[in-house]
Amino acid sequence: MNYMPGTASLIEDIDKKHLVLLRDGRTLIGFLRSIDQFANLVLHQTVERIHVGKKYGDIPRGIFVVRGENVVLLGEIAGRGKNGCRRSLSVNFPRMGSTSLGSLAPSQGGEDLEKESDTPLQQVSIEEILEEQRAEQQTKLEAEKLKVQALQDRGLSIPRADTLDEY
Amino acid sequence: MFRYESLEDCPLDEDEDAFQGLGEEDEEIDQFNDDTFGSGAVDDDWQEAHERLAELEEKLPVVVNEQTGNGERDEMDLLGDHEENLAERLSKMVIENELEDPAIMRAVQTRPVLQPRPGSLNSSIWDGSEVLRRIRGPLLAQEMPTVSVLEYALPQRPPQGPEDDRDVSERALPRRSTSPIIGSPPVRAVPIGTPPKQMAVPSFNQQILCPKPVHVRPTMPPRYPAPYGERMSPNQLCSVPLQPGRMSPSQFARVPGFVGSPLAAMNPKLLQGRVGQMLPPAPGFRAFFSAPAPATPPPPQQHPPGPGPHLQNLRSQAPMFRPDTTHLHPQHRRLLHQRQQQNRNQHRNLNGAGDRGSHRSSHQDHLRKDPYANLMLQREKDWVSKIQMMQLQSTDPYLDDFYYQNYFEKLEKLSAAEEVQGDGPKKERTKLITPQVAKLEHTYKPVQFEGSLGKLTVSSVNNPRKMIDAVVTSRSEDDETKEKQVRDKRRKTLVIIEKTYSLLLDVEDYERRYLLSLEEERPALMDERKHKICSMYDNLRGKLPGQERPSDDHFVQIMCIRKGKRMVARILPFLSTEQAADILMTTARNLPFLIKKDAQDEVLPCLLSPFSLLLYHLPSVTVTSLLQQLMNLPQSAAAPAPANPHLTAVLQNKFGLSLLLVVLSRGEDLQSSDPTSESTQSNQWTEVMFMATRELLRIPQAALAKPISIPTNLVSLFSRYVDRQKLNLLETKLQLVQGIR
Repeated sequence: MNYMPGTASLIEDIDKKHLVLLRDGRTLIGFLRSIDQFANLVLHQTVERIHVGKKYGDIPRGIFVVRGENVVLLGEIAGRGKNGCRRSLSVNFPRMGSTSLGSLAPSQGGEDLEKESDTPLQQVSIEEILEEQRAEQQTKLEAEKLKVQALQDRGLSIPRADTLDEY
Repeated sequence: MFRYESLEDCPLDEDEDAFQGLGEEDEEIDQFNDDTFGSGAVDDDWQEAHERLAELEEKLPVVVNEQTGNGERDEMDLLGDHEENLAERLSKMVIENELEDPAIMRAVQTRPVLQPRPGSLNSSIWDGSEVLRRIRGPLLAQEMPTVSVLEYALPQRPPQGPEDDRDVSERALPRRSTSPIIGSPPVRAVPIGTPPKQMAVPSFNQQILCPKPVHVRPTMPPRYPAPYGERMSPNQLCSVPLQPGRMSPSQFARVPGFVGSPLAAMNPKLLQGRVGQMLPPAPGFRAFFSAPAPATPPPPQQHPPGPGPHLQNLRSQAPMFRPDTTHLHPQHRRLLHQRQQQNRNQHRNLNGAGDRGSHRSSHQDHLRKDPYANLMLQREKDWVSKIQMMQLQSTDPYLDDFYYQNYFEKLEKLSAAEEVQGDGPKKERTKLITPQVAKLEHTYKPVQFEGSLGKLTVSSVNNPRKMIDAVVTSRSEDDETKEKQVRDKRRKTLVIIEKTYSLLLDVEDYERRYLLSLEEERPALMDERKHKICSMYDNLRGKLPGQERPSDDHFVQIMCIRKGKRMVARILPFLSTEQAADILMTTARNLPFLIKKDAQDEVLPCLLSPFSLLLYHLPSVTVTSLLQQLMNLPQSAAAPAPANPHLTAVLQNKFGLSLLLVVLSRGEDLQSSDPTSESTQSNQWTEVMFMATRELLRIPQAALAKPISIPTNLVSLFSRYVDRQKLNLLETKLQLVQGIR
């Protein structure tokens, strides 16, 4: 909304810390350095944040160049030290598993939001969070398998979206 | 590459003389070398100079201005000096607003201030760091045989000093990216991904390949064309801005010469396939971001020889530009200018040595602390904005950008209303001027390749070609299964709904068009409108030739679909009273069925308000029969009253009940307002009312729906027909009395 009120533009977001949700479910947090007309993003000092339950882990990734079409949403986050706000929302994506989004708050010179949520997230090490993630994926897969099996036993089949034929 | 080979072969501790000899040998071959190795060269030991350079690199150069009498320094100094001169000259030449550009400011003041300030916001990654300044032209181009040995032999990378508060982008670029290693891709003066940005497209290529090593020669200053007005080849023009070192490749745009034709060239290219003539707006958009457009935008073909005259053109123009924002809404424009001002101020603050304006917002402070800030230059941001702006161009804003237009219109009305009340300062009341980009008819000409015999068939989006020989076979009735028939029917209904909707949108738009049209055109418009309304009605009722009374079926089908219902609600205001009454009757007749079908959508209530409006125009007769229909009352009062599922269904539905109440209310209005009305009518009404009340009394209360609104005159209505007891019953049942709720 820099030069053009009434339009969406990322220009004013440059050099600010952002949280970016990608189509594959990853959550990146980094400083938005550069954009282009396709909303391709260049993120700096990027950290990939993995959320599992109430725990999260950050994997430092450096510089990310993200193709615009892969971005689901992005929003500025208020910086608090290096971790940003600790508030979180849990969002469930059907295919990608649950993801917790950092809260999106407008930057007022990096001020924090005053309220803390009741259950602040707990940061853990990278190995731990990866392990947790693996475990979560595992349980999900198994549950899915059971479900499909149960349905098949009853003679039903729910077609998956990617294998759905027309009519 | 004789030169390279010889250099590569030389062991590092090559004898100076031999080295010199080499140079002199080549004088005939490559005269550029003359300056480096021949007479023009300074008499120095490249090794030492190299080491000094390396030291400098490591220290993250403090000041290279140490004007020692050193031979090694000379080149530096000359270059430095040269740079300074050039920078000064440049700064004089650039138009004013460009001075605000952070990169330019840096370039201008760059020489003494080389050390990276913590949190200096100056550079972009494309900015020359010391290395770039030194590794100039020759290293940026493979073709240039001249290689300054000094530069070529630069160390790999300065050791990583304390990095935390340093501006990393000021560090030497890794050597790999700039060294002219044979076979590696040429290091481009302008990185490949850089937005074209007001550069001559053809000259762009040239410049990549061979910027002249003008800067390497110590004899540069006198040779260098001081006034820009001279005709310079694009190469020279391009290489010039490299000088100040701090200027990033994308700063080329700053050179006024590029502002002219390249943009015009680019615009048509960028907008190829777009509707509209680009040249008229192009100057406007160009103007938005740079110097005011030249009076006549240069045709796209001209660019290589172009820069010369254009330079004159543009340079002579006023420095301050006013962006062409006439197509934007005045408020929008205001906001835009405000922001521009803000940005300019910000940049001024950022660039200033701290003396200018002490309003540093915390945002600025934040930026200051961020050493990586402003990697994206203002130029680049403008470039992206420009693209976004271009996308906003349209030939018909009301078509393309309906909601934007409406929104700002509303805002305008609000502010106008406010102003009328208060005596605020008079804001712009200018009418919204949307520049209509002229629609050019593009006749599609299929692609023709040169040198090919005949015309090649190239299939594209404009020129589709049949690829499969698909034969359309219409199914016979026998083959179809019931399911398919149902599906087909539904599809047909959907198609009809879509067509009718298009008509509806057109009809709704007529008012606006009417206002915009000329006097002569208006009758034609009116006719069109009427015609469309008729078609809409026909579509709704399913008019078939030869049928007297079309069946309800068609209409009911439409009403089964959510979109159909909403559409009917929107169409009703446009229909004539009879037509609308007809629709209403049909709806009432089939209401239980529709209610059943509406169970999921729950969109019937949207019809209530147009129906209510309609009711107020209907005569008593119609209302009576409508009531009959609605309640599915038997024809005569004497007949036994069977169970009335119709009524039950109606009463159990929100819409149904509301409609019923409204009808009753209207009936009451008619009765009470016109006591001298015909007796037959009022008799009929009375009869119907008796039946109605009887039915109503029978229905258990629990099943009733909650109506949308309860008309106030129902109590008086019922009081006429029933006695007190029953009246109370009715009241409670229908919750007619406010207190009961």
